[in-house]
Amino acid sequence: MDGPDLVNLFVGIGLSEVKAKETAKNSNVSANLKSCINAASSVSSDEISKAHGMLLYHIATKIKPQISMQIPLLSRYVAEGKIDSELRLNAAMDYLISNPLGDVDIKAFEESCGVGVVVTPEQIEQEVEKVIKKYQAELVEKRYRFNVGPLMSEVRNNLKWGDGKVIKSEIELQVLSLLGPKTEADLAPPPKVEKVAKPKATKPTSSNKENLEVDSDSASTITELMKKVQFHKPGENFKTDGYVITEKTMDLLKEHLKITGGQVRTRFPPEPNGILHIGHAKAININFGYAAANDGVCFLRYDDTNPEKEEEKFFVGIKDMVEWLGYKPYQITHSSDNFDQLYEWAKVLIKKGLAYVCHQKAEEMKGFNPVPSPWRERPVNESLQLFEDMKNGMFEEGAATLRMKVTLEEGKLDPVAYRIKYVAHHRTGDRWCIYPTYDYTHCLCDSIEHITHSLCTKEFQSRRSSYYWLCNALDIYCPVQWEYGRLNVYYTVVSKRKIAKLITEKIVHDWDDPRLFTLTALRRRGFPPEAINNFCAGMGVTGAQMGVDPQKLEAVVKDTLDVTAPRSMVVLAPLKVTITNFPFDAPSTIEVPDFPKEVQRGSHSVTLDRVIYIDRSDFREVEEKGYRRLTKGQAVGLRYAGLVISLENVKKDASGQIVELEVKCTSSATCQEKPKAFIHWVSNPMFVEVRLYERLFQHQNPEDINEVPGGFLSDINPHSLSVVEAAADKSISGAKVYDKFQFERVGYFSVDPDSTGDKLIFNRTVMLKEDAGKS
Amino acid sequence: MDSAKIQQLGERAAKAEAEIMALMQQLTMLKSGVSGNGVEVNEEAEKLMAENAKLNYRINIMKRALEDNGSQRSAKKCTPQSDPNGMVNILLKLEELFGQAIEQAFPDVKGFQVVVVPTTPNFGDYQFNGAMSLSKLLRTLGKSLNPREVAGVIKESVPSNSVIDTLELAGPGYINIRLKASFVQEQLGLLLTRGVRPPCGVEKKRVIVDFSSPNIAKEMHVGHLRSTIIGDSICRLLEFLGHDVVRMNHVGDWGTQFGMLLAHLEDRFPNFAEETPPIGDLQSFYKESKIRFDSDADFKKRAYACVVKLQSHDPVYIKGWQAICDVSRREFQKIYDRLDIKIKERGESFYQDLMKKTVALLEEAGVLKEDDGRKVMFAPGIAVPLTIVKSDGGYTYDTSDMAAIRQRIHDEKADWVIYVVDLGQAGHFETIFACAEVAGWLDRKKTRVEHVGFGVVLGEDKKKFKSRSSETVRLVDLLDEGLRRAKEKLIEKERDKILTPEELESAQNAVAYGCVKYSDLAHNRNGDYVFSFDKMLEDKGNTAVYLLYAYTRIRSIARTANITDEQIKKAVADGIPLGHEKEMKLAKLLLRFPETIVRLTVDLFLHPLCEYLYEVSTVFTEFYDVCYCVEKDRTTGQIVHINMDRMALCEATANVMAQCFSLLGLKTVQKM
Repeated sequence: MDGPDLVNLFVGIGLSEVKAKETAKNSNVSANLKSCINAASSVSSDEISKAHGMLLYHIATKIKPQISMQIPLLSRYVAEGKIDSELRLNAAMDYLISNPLGDVDIKAFEESCGVGVVVTPEQIEQEVEKVIKKYQAELVEKRYRFNVGPLMSEVRNNLKWGDGKVIKSEIELQVLSLLGPKTEADLAPPPKVEKVAKPKATKPTSSNKENLEVDSDSASTITELMKKVQFHKPGENFKTDGYVITEKTMDLLKEHLKITGGQVRTRFPPEPNGILHIGHAKAININFGYAAANDGVCFLRYDDTNPEKEEEKFFVGIKDMVEWLGYKPYQITHSSDNFDQLYEWAKVLIKKGLAYVCHQKAEEMKGFNPVPSPWRERPVNESLQLFEDMKNGMFEEGAATLRMKVTLEEGKLDPVAYRIKYVAHHRTGDRWCIYPTYDYTHCLCDSIEHITHSLCTKEFQSRRSSYYWLCNALDIYCPVQWEYGRLNVYYTVVSKRKIAKLITEKIVHDWDDPRLFTLTALRRRGFPPEAINNFCAGMGVTGAQMGVDPQKLEAVVKDTLDVTAPRSMVVLAPLKVTITNFPFDAPSTIEVPDFPKEVQRGSHSVTLDRVIYIDRSDFREVEEKGYRRLTKGQAVGLRYAGLVISLENVKKDASGQIVELEVKCTSSATCQEKPKAFIHWVSNPMFVEVRLYERLFQHQNPEDINEVPGGFLSDINPHSLSVVEAAADKSISGAKVYDKFQFERVGYFSVDPDSTGDKLIFNRTVMLKEDAGKS
Repeated sequence: MDSAKIQQLGERAAKAEAEIMALMQQLTMLKSGVSGNGVEVNEEAEKLMAENAKLNYRINIMKRALEDNGSQRSAKKCTPQSDPNGMVNILLKLEELFGQAIEQAFPDVKGFQVVVVPTTPNFGDYQFNGAMSLSKLLRTLGKSLNPREVAGVIKESVPSNSVIDTLELAGPGYINIRLKASFVQEQLGLLLTRGVRPPCGVEKKRVIVDFSSPNIAKEMHVGHLRSTIIGDSICRLLEFLGHDVVRMNHVGDWGTQFGMLLAHLEDRFPNFAEETPPIGDLQSFYKESKIRFDSDADFKKRAYACVVKLQSHDPVYIKGWQAICDVSRREFQKIYDRLDIKIKERGESFYQDLMKKTVALLEEAGVLKEDDGRKVMFAPGIAVPLTIVKSDGGYTYDTSDMAAIRQRIHDEKADWVIYVVDLGQAGHFETIFACAEVAGWLDRKKTRVEHVGFGVVLGEDKKKFKSRSSETVRLVDLLDEGLRRAKEKLIEKERDKILTPEELESAQNAVAYGCVKYSDLAHNRNGDYVFSFDKMLEDKGNTAVYLLYAYTRIRSIARTANITDEQIKKAVADGIPLGHEKEMKLAKLLLRFPETIVRLTVDLFLHPLCEYLYEVSTVFTEFYDVCYCVEKDRTTGQIVHINMDRMALCEATANVMAQCFSLLGLKTVQKM
């Protein structure tokens, strides 16, 4: 049956022309719908009514693949009128999916969807009465602002198979008779509830309809987000889309539940060959966060299958960063812990005829249309012996691999499970010269650790079927893989190789250079971990890949620091100012609150003397419209000092550079005209080094050859780092590494680990405003 | 000198200077190995160095593979299938070393069976005493050396290794072996980090264990108990060693008794074909039909007719048969659940169709003899033949056992078939095995078959075990009594005042079923065995009660001191010194676990495992009496110091004991 016939068939059951056409295009749904219609037609020769048609369409679109063989059963029940609502239909499908094996127990099945249960209007009326009575007081008080939704579901709970529409109108009717018609007050807009601003992700760059099961909104904290996420319950793996059920599945799941006690188990599995970056922060948050929100546990598993790349410092660094983000691994494991088991399983695969030793070169396996391996059908014993030979060093590197007989979604043939490397492994030493691949190792380690939810980024969606295939081929517990969109941040690069290049080219100093988006860099720059976590929460767990402007992250950082970083006055470009009529004999001390909005959180002392320093940008010789700070004719206030200064004299050096201002002061309480602005200042300062950072790259996607034809190294922002000698108030002299401050009117700053006892060094975390020029 | 010449010389000097400069530059470049030509040289060198490193790595891998391969050929050694993380079987390791020594010292000697045995601490840890027999063997080869000389040569030929500390000649030609402390420490560390794992060096086999095997429609009695307990423990042992074990329940679900049962069923529940007959008490049902069968000739005739119908697979009678079997099966299952036995049913009925084929094959092979209308089969050297076909054309137990052994070897591809049946059947199985060989189905070199027999259960009066009314004791009643007695014992010891009701119940179960199993397994199975709850429940000596209690006590040491696994792991990582003599003694005993259980598979006697378990418990007590694990302040009772090394040793002891219990089918409890 081709296009037009299909469309006619679908129109025949009541679909609109447009919908019928759309459906005909989707081969999956149309095949389902066709078998629905066939089954329904077999019940009676009458035409299928529109109501039945809609239910059949519901089956065709909503049925999960693992119960698609039950389409005829469901369709017959629809055609016979035994299942007559979506409610019943969904209950029926739920039942089937929960009981996937063996013949359908018809009695239990019918019970599950209420076949034959009739709910009379009288029953509904009584039930609604009961519920209304229960909430009467609240209803009368809130009147029409009372949300009747919960009432409906309560009635529903008690009358499982009641008609939703009838219940709704019954409730409306009874509410009306209780409250009378709406008054004017009822129609007025409701009093405003203050809304909390949420950081929002930019629009997803790509969207994928297929994976909408993971569809949760953003939230402000990870726990909040993870409570909303709709993943399967431990042990109900078989209910998820695409999960493959074998004869052993149910027993394995039973065993699995026995071992885990029904606990949620996730894992964060980084390769220990580099440094963690902002993208990993999302993975950490999702895995640890989901476990925490469900009283589960999360493993930190070093995916150390590749011997060439691992270095001890990366192992330590990864653990540090996980802990820095506030998470504690339930257990730290290594993929290499399982090398023996993996090797045994490889032999099982060979014996089952599901893997073979292949001698194609790496280049031959790559490319668009690779030639299938000529060694695919070699005898089991031969593969077994050759695999042993691989292990025993009888082949050159690359001269033999072990491949699995499975095709990936993207069409990749027979992925490699083992390859030869004459390289020592940092944990297994010189024991092995064959090492397993990601494709082979990952799912098996998940299975060994009894992971319930194997959460990974979207790129791995194409590996899901091979993941399931491998676990099932070995008859071992098969976890469920869920994918979420990868997080990409603009104006930066995160690949290990590219950062290494930036370091060797001396563009940045090291892996933790604050201009980078590695987690150590962000820590050094002064980003608080909770800000990073909340930022990730804001991204949600959708399947879409997203690109985010660093400003979005900075906004969350600012929100966090606003309530955590005490204020201090620091002048980045100091200009000496002498107050000629300084009203005190000696320097005076002023108590300044750490958080002006919350005075109770403490204060620090600031010295005020004859000589103060202000920022060069806070003075202009030439008056300018809209400039509100110090000029010849315009006085300016000094923050917290209670003084207003006006210019008397400008001193310059030989080159005409201003070196000092002389000013007169008046008390701000007595001055005639209130100054237009109050500026920050310091007296008797200490001098500190301040490193000011800007974006490292000029373009949004420095790696994109279309945007930056010269490659990412050509896109460096020459002003990404400037170092200034700043005058700081002495109250910050005791600051320790990573202490964070708001330099008033300037931005947030964090103490750099390079600081010494003699000299403090600050990194600019974020500016207060994008352009601090005016005000 | 004219100016031209001067200029010339000056130019030459300048040129030479420039050359010197260039050379010097090159030199520094070469030294630092950067820029110019240096780069290429360097890259090349680096490549070669990397290549070299890889080749070295590869050589190492190949050498090791060769070694493994070599030793594999020299008799029994780790096969690749065995668990590489498995525990080292020290005895096997020593036998290998001595094997290599003999091969080197006396290359002419072939196929000498090396035996090393554990010995008393006075002499060392193990002893090699093959010098005497080797001396005799050498004499036949024309070499005259006395045993002590032989031992001396062997001692010098033992290859260097990480296991042996000292070798010492003693007596007429013994070699006493003492283990290296470092080896013991290392192995104990592995025991703690990896857990008690099956030993390496075990070749995986497919094993069928035929045990329990009660008769349908009759109740299980105490006689079935031994087969069930011994069979289950054998399965547990073989499963732990990594074999592919099939637990087979060869129930008696076919035969003439079903004729009378079915005939009686017809009368009592005429519509049994439509509706499952509600037979409540199968015992009285059996007795009723038996009485009718013995007294009513008509009934007897009908009973025979029913047999014929059943054997022709009449669906109605099959249904009735099924119903009767189901009733029995449920009763059996209750007992298996209580005893924690897993077993797969494959009764005699399974072999019905195979029997025809079996007979045909035997006929074809020409091994059947006519005897007075019967067809019988003789095995060489055995007087009593098997009756394969009766004179009325019917089959016998012999026929079904022949069909079964062929099916097990041929279709099930078993490498090893074990029958756990009482010793009374020894002759029968001997005949079956011999006939299977005659028929060409069994090759004893490839397939191991054996009858694991056991003696009769006796009452305390040393007579056949009977109830007071001198009937066969029902197993259910026996187990119930066990539960009752266990509870009495616990209450007598005032455990009910310490334990919560749940804890008391699990202790009661563990003790009741544990003591029944343990006292059966702790005796040489070939002897008759006196069933006595009083003896079983004694809390001293080699009894389940004592051992289970000892185990919980060891576990509680760590618990009360609040030790975490991490602390133990750390202690292991730091190395356990085993400085005290008693620590070392205990550690060495624990490491004998692998050889102990491997030894069990030679003759499938399980009592040595019980003896080992008891020894572990006594040696632990010796250790615990003199070695402080947790030091407490005498007055306040506060913990002053925890000796983590010793805690680790406690942990290892408990783990080994737990594994022994598990092999014996005993459940342990946290508290009792």
